Amino acid sequence: MMELTYLFFLSSGLFLGFSLGANDVSNIFGAAVGSKLIKFKAAALIATIFVIIGAVYGGGATTRSLTQLGQVNALAGAFMVALSAALSVYFMAKTGLTTSTSQAIVGGIIGWNLYAGHKTDLSILFQIATGWILCPILSAVLAVLLYFMLKNLFHKIKLHVLMQDQILRMALVCVGAFCTYALGANNIANVMGVFTYCVHVPSVHVWIFHFSGLQILFLLGGIAISFGIWTYSQKTMETIGQSLMKMSPFVAFVVILSEALALFVFSSETLQNILGSLHLPSLPLVPVSSTQAVIGAILGIALLKGGRGVNWSITGRIVMGWVTTPLMSLIICFISLFFLENVFQLQVFLP
Amino acid sequence: MAHFSLFAHTKDLEHKIDDLMNKIIDISMVFKKAVRLFLKEKRSNDYRKLSKEIKIIEHDADVLRRDIENSLYEHNLIPAFRGDVLELVESLDKVLNEFDEVAHQFYLENPDIPSVYHEDMKELVSQVCACAENLAMGARAFFRDFSAVRDYSEKVYFYEKQSDKTTAKLKQIIFESDLELAHKLQLRSFLSEVADIADLAEDCVDKLLIYVIKRDI
Repeated sequence: MMELTYLFFLSSGLFLGFSLGANDVSNIFGAAVGSKLIKFKAAALIATIFVIIGAVYGGGATTRSLTQLGQVNALAGAFMVALSAALSVYFMAKTGLTTSTSQAIVGGIIGWNLYAGHKTDLSILFQIATGWILCPILSAVLAVLLYFMLKNLFHKIKLHVLMQDQILRMALVCVGAFCTYALGANNIANVMGVFTYCVHVPSVHVWIFHFSGLQILFLLGGIAISFGIWTYSQKTMETIGQSLMKMSPFVAFVVILSEALALFVFSSETLQNILGSLHLPSLPLVPVSSTQAVIGAILGIALLKGGRGVNWSITGRIVMGWVTTPLMSLIICFISLFFLENVFQLQVFLP
Repeated sequence: MAHFSLFAHTKDLEHKIDDLMNKIIDISMVFKKAVRLFLKEKRSNDYRKLSKEIKIIEHDADVLRRDIENSLYEHNLIPAFRGDVLELVESLDKVLNEFDEVAHQFYLENPDIPSVYHEDMKELVSQVCACAENLAMGARAFFRDFSAVRDYSEKVYFYEKQSDKTTAKLKQIIFESDLELAHKLQLRSFLSEVADIADLAEDCVDKLLIYVIKRDI
């Protein structure tokens, strides 16, 4: 009975995971599936494996940033934070604004902080917001650099076009696997992060592997993402694949690799430690938007090619999304917490 | 292991496409030799042999083309690119067919070409063959070195223009001559057929340049 209650309250987070699997993974494997390089089932299997590995092994760092922003300590409260994020993403998507669960969940957490009377750490909020702004920019810079370097390399080695094609298509699958890993590592915090202080899962020891309670929670989130991949992403992959292929397989590859690297940079503690030891500035480990990373990469390459046909209104929509998505989520969360507490008599925060 | 076999398949297809380019160069050289021989000996036994050689090259190229087309489908190329390669292979095949058709027509009709036109005729054949050979080199470059395609296509355009001029000049001289009208018409038809080879090569190069723009990463 207790487990069912847990599962019910976790459902809003699992729903977020489901929509992540249905939408964001399509961006990654769209080119490979759309060009019929691999069958959807194979792509879904690779995505499932790597998104779960990413979530379970790499999801800790971004989750810590989110929990530093707000430690949602009651299950009903966490349920509402995730649900308000899911609802605001849904509404924002309806209006055509570029949005992401990363921005929505932050709004929800601040909404919960306000309702519970907890102080929001502005420095963490600033760090997270910096991450949102830097992510598409970094992705654009990476895309430009990779495009330039790889293009020169391809021209220099003068590979036969057929061989180029073959290598690119295989690279699309490899980079797709890496990108789903990075997506799992970076975005699992949006799916399960708010539950970490109110759901206590015992750790599990399987053969030589030890899984902490948090990792089990992330595994659950990873399974929800996979459910989204298997049930809803096929059509999106085929549609996206065809539009991605219009930019040539090479550009598709650069875009996905840039997205993967951007997501990875914002979620890897190891990379942060290496940069720190080299006295180089490191980026905050925060959940960012994979869609905005993709848009950043595409814009970067478009600018490199002279900027013709760039739809600049999309950048305006991204910036609007940074403000409106968390704001909408904050308002929905605040009002709903009031109802949850006063109408349904549920404890939404522990004093 | 699967990956190695995948690359082996690609290599095999690369060789087949290269072979097709070789066939164009081969057929062009044999054709040049055959026309020169025809002007000297008309429908001789040696001309028949060369005409047969042209037919064999064309037939081999047809087999190769079908093989390439099947391989392209099995190869799982990116659909848009596969379409371009298929179209290119078919356009190249049209050039090969035209060589065979013209050579066969010489054999069938055995036209009487007055010696006064021989030099211009040789000139026209050289220009047409240069078009085809540069087309083959341009198409080969499309698969390896995009920047070279433009150089070869410039040559194709140049020789095609030259062949147009030579054809126009020859036609004018022929129609100003005292030959029978039927004879004039037959010679005009031959000139047009020969010049068509250059036109087909030019069409093919037009397509090639579009593919390069599409593919230029």
